[in-house]
Amino acid sequence: MDDLQKNRPLSPHLQVYKWQLSSLLSITHRLTSIINTAGITLICSWILSLYMGENCYKYFSMFASSFIGKFILIGFTWSFSYHLLNGVRHLFWDMGYGYEIKTANLSGIVVLVSSFLLTIGFWILA
Amino acid sequence: MSNNVVKKWMLQRISAVILLPVLIWFLSIFTGLIQKDYQTVLAFFKNDINFVFSVILLVLVFFHMKIGMGEIFEDYIQNSRYKSVANFIISVFATVLPLVTIVSLVLIKFN
Repeated sequence: MDDLQKNRPLSPHLQVYKWQLSSLLSITHRLTSIINTAGITLICSWILSLYMGENCYKYFSMFASSFIGKFILIGFTWSFSYHLLNGVRHLFWDMGYGYEIKTANLSGIVVLVSSFLLTIGFWILA
Repeated sequence: MSNNVVKKWMLQRISAVILLPVLIWFLSIFTGLIQKDYQTVLAFFKNDINFVFSVILLVLVFFHMKIGMGEIFEDYIQNSRYKSVANFIISVFATVLPLVTIVSLVLIKFN
């Protein structure tokens, strides 16, 4: 019992899976969760720089308006959009809907395409 | 033990559902706001509604993140001591960063 407690099985590591849409989107969900953590950290630093005053905020503005800054911000927007949309997909699964392979593949494609459209939408709206 | 896991599972879903509209609101404003000047952004966070929603967003995002990261550690870290350390680091991070940010928001609002 004690040994069982200590050596509980892990999830199979990613290398053992055959690549397919469902697993790719699932891995992306986790990957975007980690990117989102970096994203919210950036948002916190944005608010902190605002608190520190105009001089400090200038540096953040310089970063945000630079090419690399824009690239990172748009990337974070996509990451949040994807995680949000795929999260809705997960909520439907939790309620017992959408498990058929055809449905799951279709909803996956819808999520992937929508995540890009939503990102474009957010930045056009800006 | 299992009750605790069920609770975490539920809380992760509840925070996700509340975060949906709050995050959409935030992203639609953030993309424009981040390109604005200091005074405009300052005025935005001084506004009551924006202030409240920003605080809700920060609390829920870090709450959701902490549970989610715990799930990833559960899947991929076997050594229970390393797992505890990883969870502890995430807990500190998910408490300190939102706390400092929310205190800044309060100071911005009431200054």
